[in-house]
Formats: sequence, structure tokens, C-alpha cells
Amino acid sequence: MTLTIALAGNPNCGKTTLFNALTGARHHVGNWPGVTVERRSGTFEHGGTTMEVVDLPGTYSLSARSEDEKVAASFLASPEVDLVLNVLDASNLERNLYLSTQLLELGKPVAFVLNMVDDAENRGVRIDVPALELLLGGPVIPTVGNREQGITELKTLLASMALGESNRCRRITVDYGHDIEGELAKLHTEICRDEKLEATMPPRWLALQLLENNAEAKRLVAESHASEAIRHQLSKSFAFLEPHLGADGATLVAERRYGFAHGLVKEVATAPDEKTTPTAKLDAILTHRWLGIPIFVGILALVYSLSFILGKIPQDWIADGFKALSTFVGSRLPAGELTSLLVDGVIPGVSAVIVFVPVIMILMGCIAFLEDTGYMARAAFIMDRLMHVMGLHGKSFIPLIMGSGCNVPAIQAARTIESPQDRLITMLVTPLVSCSARLQVYIVIAGTFFTPFKAALAIIAMHFLGLGLAVLMGRLLRSALFSGPSSPFVMELPPYRLPMLKATLIHMWEKGSIFLTRAGTTIFAGATLVWFLSRYPGIANRQWTLEYQQQRQAVAALNLPAAESEDRLKALQLAHESRIVNTSLAAKLGQKVEPVLRPILDPDHKRAEAWKDVIALTAGFVAKEIVVSTMAVIHQASEEPKEGERLSPLQVALRDGSGLTPLTALAFMVFTLIYTPCLGTIAMIRREAGSWGWAAFTVGYGLALGWGLAWVTVAVGRAFGFA
Amino acid sequence: MTQNLPIPLSQLQPGDQGEVIQVQAQGQVRQRLLEMGFIRGARLRVEKLAPLGDPMELVIKGYHLSLRREESSCILVQPVA
Repeated sequence: MTLTIALAGNPNCGKTTLFNALTGARHHVGNWPGVTVERRSGTFEHGGTTMEVVDLPGTYSLSARSEDEKVAASFLASPEVDLVLNVLDASNLERNLYLSTQLLELGKPVAFVLNMVDDAENRGVRIDVPALELLLGGPVIPTVGNREQGITELKTLLASMALGESNRCRRITVDYGHDIEGELAKLHTEICRDEKLEATMPPRWLALQLLENNAEAKRLVAESHASEAIRHQLSKSFAFLEPHLGADGATLVAERRYGFAHGLVKEVATAPDEKTTPTAKLDAILTHRWLGIPIFVGILALVYSLSFILGKIPQDWIADGFKALSTFVGSRLPAGELTSLLVDGVIPGVSAVIVFVPVIMILMGCIAFLEDTGYMARAAFIMDRLMHVMGLHGKSFIPLIMGSGCNVPAIQAARTIESPQDRLITMLVTPLVSCSARLQVYIVIAGTFFTPFKAALAIIAMHFLGLGLAVLMGRLLRSALFSGPSSPFVMELPPYRLPMLKATLIHMWEKGSIFLTRAGTTIFAGATLVWFLSRYPGIANRQWTLEYQQQRQAVAALNLPAAESEDRLKALQLAHESRIVNTSLAAKLGQKVEPVLRPILDPDHKRAEAWKDVIALTAGFVAKEIVVSTMAVIHQASEEPKEGERLSPLQVALRDGSGLTPLTALAFMVFTLIYTPCLGTIAMIRREAGSWGWAAFTVGYGLALGWGLAWVTVAVGRAFGFA
Repeated sequence: MTQNLPIPLSQLQPGDQGEVIQVQAQGQVRQRLLEMGFIRGARLRVEKLAPLGDPMELVIKGYHLSLRREESSCILVQPVA
């Protein structure tokens, strides 16, 4: 039989470091059922006993209001948990003990870890461990989690508790004073009228939560057949306590808990030195009135360069590697359906997934590093005012900015935002931030239809439009989706700490592998679907395949110089692909959808081939990187410019043959910016928001908003006399 | 003596100290503030304001916390010299 240990503690108490130290690499990351809170569990063996450790989300309390607290409270109350291990930050004992006063009410054995005792000692805080054990009624192990000090002792203790050898746990609870205890006892009696309710959690713990006016507790009671009696007693208790003790139940309970914590700390710990802490010295610079923002911008620039400039190098290797593989396979296999599935479907599909991994790992590593050092809270502190105006949280700033590199890891980066509402809104608006893949489309289109100067202006305008829309949509979604007051901004600024390389590496590995397993399949499936739409039925046309092969053989028979022969073969391939794509299901879809897009892409109804845009945009659904290459196929013109020419053959074809005007080209750019996030982003939203609904919503509002703004572009442009 | 009248926490300046009199916020914010240590009689010190003027950083119960003006204006404190 394995013993299940729940690891509970405040945020920033070093819980995850301790978890890693206990379980090593043997752990599993998943989600708690029904919510998007990460569930980390692992096992370790000591002295022949196997124990399972579940790392709960870090919380300041168990009052069950936030998603994290609900998860922690309900798991702790479940019979699955045999032992609670409460991690305490030794340098911030009083606030950490608030949660302990609640854990002690759960009626389960509680052991304590006094973590980061080195930090506390540096601040002059010495803690009398035996006295602490006596007052908390459970064993206390001092540790330094990031140096693995005390871990063996901790394992020994847990193993002995698992075998029931240790009787060091006494039941200690906070004494709430005569008046409150009296009311608790009365509530206890009423709760015990319902055996089922009594069995869900200790009656005293439920009674306390009722006194605190806890909604979750009230919901539990409402379901009970004794609800009438309990509610009656509760209002009697309130009527007695509030005038008598001069405050409401929640305040009274919190005061008594802090009274307990304060008294305990006075008893067991020496007061910290008055000297300035290293954190205070660092903060004097890092959150300085004038220096704070420039330093933040500098750090942001560094993270951005690391992720998207350094990360681009392995990304290019991967992309080139797969392209080479695809060319190799294409040249070895006869042209046909199966080859096309491999060359144009599977290989680019796998490539589209793997190409994200380096960027995700680097950016997530940087973010984990910022988070673990404590700087992330400062970044939020610095940017909160600006972001609050936009209806967002200070922590939303980094994901939004990183979105301009790539939306996929940016959405993952929104994990750092605690409030689920703020996190969701940030995820939903991040796709509006123009990413580097969309830039390639702008460059081709703007370069074709505008002078270099105007093209640069148009491209910059797209980026500002994206950010502006993100802000606007943030406000709109906030008021439309969450009518209640926004979640409170009560954020701890934890002491700066140097994170361990190992923890950061574990985090990077987790994020990369989660992406591959959870989002990878979605992207791959989508890429294959789009391949199918854009190749059938033409790819199955044997006559065409035969003609193509004969043409190739004819060229080969001419014995031309290698370069010319290659050019001709390329042109043949382009012509063959163009024939297939332009008669494909996607093309038929394009012809069907074209009337819908006419007001924005063809307002004068002069373009015979406006439906071709739809094919390119459909491809853009997979990844914006392939919009340009798809256009090259559709228009049967190479995307690479010949030597000494400014425009590529594709751009010339677009200028002369597509019928786009500068104005409709601009509308095309606006539409490309907004119309839909790429598959990677959609898969990531689905995973991070926990439902297909939000992913579909993002696509839906993108299409509507994209169409609307492209229409406005055309309408305003025409009003000013542009064509 | 205006010094002795309780004022909202948002009116304290960096460097000022105070003692919590009452949390006037309701619902979730109230509960969160109580848990974070804003109970009657708790001592706090305002450290600084963020570069853009909001939120504020303060020290309470020996740790650093940041609060927006929205929340800090709901906390009544007694300034302490």
C-alpha cells in the first residue's frame, strides 16, 4: 500500500523545489480534473516504503475562492490523502502559519517542513525547532530545499509515519476564545444532524468556514437535509458574535488565527535584524521610480532576443532539416497520392509541431527563471498600472509582448497569471498581437503594392493595430464575459532568490514535452486535413501525374546544363502543383466563400481570381509561414527574386495578375493579421483554457473582427479617394 | 490633531507607518486582505509606489506586498509617527 502525501504551503515557500528534491525525476505533470491548474505528482521510496507525493498549488489559505484554493481544499479533504506535509518559509513564518492553522483543522496528521532556514538565519532569525514541534503538535524538519539539506531526514520521518511508528502528531487547533468556541460547538451539533455532511469534512472545520461566510461551505450546507437548522444556528451565532466582539465572523476568525501565529512566532523565533536585506537593496534599483521601467524593458529585450533570435537558430535547423527530408523523399518516390501525403502532408505537419519546441523551451525557461528569482512579481508591479487600464493584470504584459515573436509560447506564458479570468482574457487577446510569421506575409504584400517607405509604414501599422486591438478586446471581453468586479490585486513581492539550474531545466523539459504530447496531435491532425483539402481531387488524377512524369522525362532527355535543367524541372513542378491546388477542394471552397470576402478583397467585383486568396488563407490556418509558399503555388510563380530584381516573380504575378489594388492589398494585410490564429495557437488555447469552446471562440471572433476591420479599411480608403 | 484620525491606506506616503483599523472592502477582496494579515492592529509601512504611481508596495507581517489603489483605499489605517 502506498501512502499519499499532500504537499501544501504558501506560494514562494520553496514547495516545488522540495517536491523535486523528494521525487527526483520520477514525477508526472497533468491537470486537476475540470480545471486548468497543474497537478504534479511523483513517488519516492525510502526504507522499503513507497510514498506518493502530490504537490498542491501554492495558496495562502484554504478558503476555496480561487481555482487553486478550491483544488487544494477539496483534495486535502478527500480520503485519498493520508498525510499533510506543510512547507513553511522560515524567513516568513507568521504569514505561512496562517495556512497551517487551517491545515490543522482537517483532522489528518500534519508534518511540517521548515524550509529555507539558511535565509532566515541570514536575516538573524533563529528558530527553536523543538519548541515549534511542541506548539504545532507535529514533527518539524528544518531543510534547505535547494541544497537538498534535510531531505534524507524528511524521507526517514515520512517513512516512519507511513508505518505508523511515529506518534508525534497530537491534535492541536487554534483556540478561538470562549465566545467563538461556544458558537462553533453549537454549529458542530447542528452539522452532525446530517451524517453525510459530517463525513465530508470535520464538522468543526465546516463550522469555521461557515463563520467566515465561505460560499463553498454554504453551498455544501444548502445540499444537506439539515440545512434549515444549520442556517438558523449560523444566523443566531452571527447575531451574538458580531455586536459582542465588534467585528464580523471572517475578521474574528482571521484575527484569532493570526493571534495564534503571532504568539507562536514570538515564542520560538528571534526577531530579524534591522539591517537592510539584499532584496531591499536590489529593489531600490529594480523597482526604482526612474530606473525600474528602463531595466524592465532591458530584461524584456534580453528574453525576447534569447527566445526569438537565439531560438530561431535551432528552429531554422529543424525547418531546413525537414525541408531537406521532404525534398529527398519527393525525389526518391514516384509522384502520386502517397508521396504527396508524405512530402506535403506528414513531413511538414511534423515539422510544424517540432519547430515550436526550441522557442517554447527557451521562453518558458526564461519565464521560469524570472518567476523563481522573484522578478516576475516586480515586473507585474511595474507594469500593472498600464495593464490595469486595459482591463488586464500586470503579469499580462510579458505574454502580450512575447506574442510578437510567436503566439504559441506567449499563450503558455500566461500561466504565470494567477487569476483565471485575467489569464483567459490574456490568452484570448494574445493572437491579435502580430507574430513574426505574419510579418513574412506583410513583407511580400506590402513590398508588391507600396513603395519601400510606405511598405515599412504599413508593416509597422499592422503591429500597432494588433496591439491596439488586443487592448480593446481585453476591455471588451472583460466587461462582456466577467461582469463582476475584477479579481483583487494583492500580490506578494517575495524575496529575491537564485533559482537552481536543475529546477529551470526540469521546467523547460516539462513545457516542451507537454506541448509535443498535448498540442502536437492537434496541429498534426489539422495540417493533414488542410493538405487533404488543398490536394484532392487533383492529386489522385492519374492522367495529370502521367503527363507530369512525361514532361520531366522530356526535360531530362534534352541534356541541358544542370542549372537550366533544374530551373525547368522546378517550373514543371510548380505548374503541376498549381494545377492540383487550383482545382482542389480548397479552391472550390474559395469559390463558394468568395462572395463573402468580396466587399473586402474585391469591392469593385473586377477580380476574376479573388477565390485564390481563400486557398492561401486556408493554408494560413495551419501556419502563417506557409501563406507565401502557397501563394507561389497558386499563382505559379517562384517566391525567390531573381538576381538584381527587387520583386520576386510571385510579387510580379500578384501585382500584374491578381487584381489586388494597394487598398485591397492593405485590407488583405489587415485580414491576415486578425482572421484566425494558427493551429499551434489554437491547440495551445485549447490546452491552456481547458476547452475547445474557447479555441473556437478565438477563431470565430477573429474572423468576424478581421472581416469588419478589413471592410472599414476599404470603406475609409475609398472615402478618401484611394482605390 | 488630524494625525490621530483614521485615513485610507492609499493616503499614506512612502515611508509612513500605520496600524490597521478596519478592512472596508467586501466579499472576495475582504477575505483575501484578512488572510494576508490586514487584521485589526496589524502594523504596516508603505515602502514605495510603482514607477507609474500605482500600485503601492508595503510591508506587513514582515513580508512585502503590493496593492492597487482600488484595494488600499478600502483599508482604514491609523497613521503612526
